[in-house]
Amino acid sequence: MKTQEPRDLFPGALEMMILQTLRSQPLHGYALVQQIKRTSNELLKIEEGSLYPALQRLLKEGLVSAEWGVSSTNRRVRIYELTPRGAKHLAREVSRFEQMFEGITRVLAPAKS
Amino acid sequence: MNWIMQIFSRRRVYDDLSTDIRSHLEERTDELIKSGMSRKEAAETALREFGNATSLEQSGREVWRWSFIENFLMDVRYGLRVLRKNPGFTAASVLTLALGIGANTAIFTILNSVLLSNLPVRDPQQLVLLTNPDMHGRQLGFGDGERDLLTYPEFQDLSARNQVFDGMLAADSYIQKQDVSVVASGESASDSSAQIGLVSGSYFSVLGVNPILGRVFTTEADRVRDANPLAVISYGFWQSRFGGDPSAIGKKIRLLHTTYDVIGVTPARFVGETVGYAIDIWLPLSMQTEAIPGRDYLSMETNPFQKREWLQVMGRLKPGVSLAQANSSINLLFQQYLTAQTETGMSADQKRTFMTQRIAMIAGGRGASTLQAKFGKPLQILMGVVGLVLLIACANVANLLLARAASRQREIAVRVAMGAGAGRLFRQVLTESILLAGIGGAFGLLIARWADSALLRLVSGGRTPVPLDVHLNAAVLTFTLGVSMLTGMLFGLVPALRASRADIGTIIKGTSRSVIGGAGHRSRMPMGKILVVVQVTLSLLLLVAAGLFVRSFQKLSEVNLGYDRDHLLVFRVSPTVYGYKGPAMMQLYKDMLDRIAALPGVRGATLSENGLLTNQDTNDPIIVEGRAAKTGEGGDSSNSDEIGPNYFSSADIPILMGREIDRGDNGNGPRVGVINQTFAKYFYGGSNPLGTRVSVITPAGNEDFVVVGVAADAKYHSMREKPSRRFYVPFFNPVGNVGGAYVIVHESGNSAALPASIREIVKQSAPNLPAPDISTMNEIVDDSLTVDRMVTKLSGVFGGLAIVLSCIGIYGIMAYSVAGRTNEIGIRMALGAQRSAVLWMILRESLLLVLIGVAIGLPAIAAAGRLISSLLFGITPADPLALILATGLMFLIGALASYIPANRAMRIDPMMALRYE
Repeated sequence: MKTQEPRDLFPGALEMMILQTLRSQPLHGYALVQQIKRTSNELLKIEEGSLYPALQRLLKEGLVSAEWGVSSTNRRVRIYELTPRGAKHLAREVSRFEQMFEGITRVLAPAKS
Repeated sequence: MNWIMQIFSRRRVYDDLSTDIRSHLEERTDELIKSGMSRKEAAETALREFGNATSLEQSGREVWRWSFIENFLMDVRYGLRVLRKNPGFTAASVLTLALGIGANTAIFTILNSVLLSNLPVRDPQQLVLLTNPDMHGRQLGFGDGERDLLTYPEFQDLSARNQVFDGMLAADSYIQKQDVSVVASGESASDSSAQIGLVSGSYFSVLGVNPILGRVFTTEADRVRDANPLAVISYGFWQSRFGGDPSAIGKKIRLLHTTYDVIGVTPARFVGETVGYAIDIWLPLSMQTEAIPGRDYLSMETNPFQKREWLQVMGRLKPGVSLAQANSSINLLFQQYLTAQTETGMSADQKRTFMTQRIAMIAGGRGASTLQAKFGKPLQILMGVVGLVLLIACANVANLLLARAASRQREIAVRVAMGAGAGRLFRQVLTESILLAGIGGAFGLLIARWADSALLRLVSGGRTPVPLDVHLNAAVLTFTLGVSMLTGMLFGLVPALRASRADIGTIIKGTSRSVIGGAGHRSRMPMGKILVVVQVTLSLLLLVAAGLFVRSFQKLSEVNLGYDRDHLLVFRVSPTVYGYKGPAMMQLYKDMLDRIAALPGVRGATLSENGLLTNQDTNDPIIVEGRAAKTGEGGDSSNSDEIGPNYFSSADIPILMGREIDRGDNGNGPRVGVINQTFAKYFYGGSNPLGTRVSVITPAGNEDFVVVGVAADAKYHSMREKPSRRFYVPFFNPVGNVGGAYVIVHESGNSAALPASIREIVKQSAPNLPAPDISTMNEIVDDSLTVDRMVTKLSGVFGGLAIVLSCIGIYGIMAYSVAGRTNEIGIRMALGAQRSAVLWMILRESLLLVLIGVAIGLPAIAAAGRLISSLLFGITPADPLALILATGLMFLIGALASYIPANRAMRIDPMMALRYE
């Protein structure tokens, strides 16, 4: 394989990563994007703006909550925090994802040899 | 957060989202500036990395709402604003659509009430008909195969023994007007006529019609004959004759010689089981001999071949019983009934024919109808015609929209640049179209209301209006809404697709000129031209149809009736209703005829029991002396009439052999008769019928006459009928009974004073008879052609509408084409092109469109012709004259519509045109 082409995400992946990132600490939007980009090592193709519709979905379902606060650059921003419901949802999604991932790996295994 | 809260807090949520996105972009920009970019560069980079901010913010918002509905409402608001800004365009489109949709709604309203509506009764879908809903009359004889009507004993038998119905009802299929008096206490009786319906005691309870006042019949009313002088009256009759007074219950009304007690009033919407007739008074079937004197329709016939078929019969299915189950079960019972009847000594042959009788059961929720057979097919054709008109209107509006889309390209481009997605734009433009169609539809409803009352007057032939419910109802509203939506989608689709594919590059950078004439022009023309070709094709179809109907109507009007339609006056008298009978009645007729014949300007006056073109007839089985019994074509039977002296010379029907019936044939001597040509040919072939004897089989026994003459055939019921067998016997020496009759007067001139003199004579001869309603034969002929006239007039009107719309369509497209080619034409002229050559160039372009339309249209007509051939008379759908005229007219329209643009092109000043560039 040559250089890694950034990959599109599957539905729900962005939400899962947002929840996972928020698990360690509450963050505002911009910081959240930077954090995800940094952690993923730029391997994933994420349109920065697509985070916001995803955050709206999570807010609507009560998986995250938002509070007005002040960013490190002194801007009035909304800081997103994982709710207990969000934490439960994340755990469930992660285990489902691992299952799927394991399945895919098994099917692909013979192809590697 | 529950959803109600969400709606109220949404504004804040949206603001938060905007703030979020804005601060994200600012933060990123700041960071990029820190890393050494210029402010401008940094801001652009931040935006690029972020993606389509507008669309992302929109999808963020959509999370919170039922986006579809809200987008729709937004589009509607926007659309209304756009339409308000273009009043000319809006008015033109709305008017076009209102005409198209209005015509469709008008025809559908009538179609719906004639063919589709259920009776206003309880659970109409449970009702079934055991009889032919289009059949009306009282037949004496024997019908093999599927039975049209049933006899009273048959109804009684099936009603008593069946297991599949919750109840059965029977009603006299021949609804007639009779004179009635309301016998109010202390006041003088007031006369007027009313529609009378004879019904079984179960009628109202099986239909589930409850009285709004008093009570209705029960099966008790069927039990004893002539012992139930009860009447249920309609809401309308109650209002008009009793002023809606509740004390009407218990009042008396008088019909013929019998007085009936009013026992109940039906709801306003219910006017009987037969669409097209509004019944005023219902009487029990058991009162038949009182209401229809002289005949017994209730008793079991002594001869099973002489059934008295006169009843419409319906049943209400038991829950869980299907129509098919009921059908087989009822036919089984019917076979048993018939088998019992064959045990009266029939030959094997007779038995076989007799046992072919069966009942054809159909869904009965729509009731019986006098209109379905008459108007069904014409209405369906007209529905097709107005559908085509609407399509033509759609093409015009689509062309208008396309033309406008060219001038709106900038607006669309700006919206695309702002981040509007293709789907969003598509929905927006389509919403505008549907909105336009909706407004058109609303006006269309108004037009339809007006058109329907005009239409009813048209079909009613100026006499009493056909009682049809043409009020707005759910079905009509649904239809109009559906048609409007569909119309909007149809004409809006192309412009919407075009808008959603707008190429902002070329539009934004182009000059204003390229917006009007350049890229937009090339891509628009083919679509617009295709639409015009479609219009031409459809218009041609409608023109040919209109031409065919006009030609056919012309032929119908010119049919040789066999009598002198220009000099006959006809009126009906019913002396039996006013107490005349026996010799006194005969004397009254004789006096009247003598005195009328003596009037100046009268060539002759005579009587006819069945009249001419009245749809009234008599048919009896007969035995022709010396001729073997025939089978097929009705076997040994014939229609007949009882006529006054000098009938044939008075009506101008030629006597081909022997003599006519005259004053001497008055009962003093053997009965004589005249047969028509077809009768002679059918029974006698080439041999001489004069002097032979014919026996008429009547319920009372055989009655004979001796043939003394042969008369020419005539049109007895309609212009379209084929010659049928007929014999005539003297009114003053009749077969069976006579009562009311038509008086036929032959006038030598056209004296306007004659009807008044005749009315005066009637008044002097019989002071208690109402003044007769005198018609000319031509008026009666006109009445008999009501449906044909309606179809001819309407197809003409719609054909004209189609031409106007197509004309506008061709004009629009050619005007646009000329405007776009101004400088091409200028260059041609500068290079020496003649003005006439330019004129011809433009005309040719439009005539080419017409030619293509015609080339497609003519084969389509060949296919569509079969659909209307049953309505045509005397011509085929491929009538060359109609085809040539319609095609010629279409080319003329093409030339006319493009003449103004072509003329404009011809006058282009080459210098101006070049400078224009």
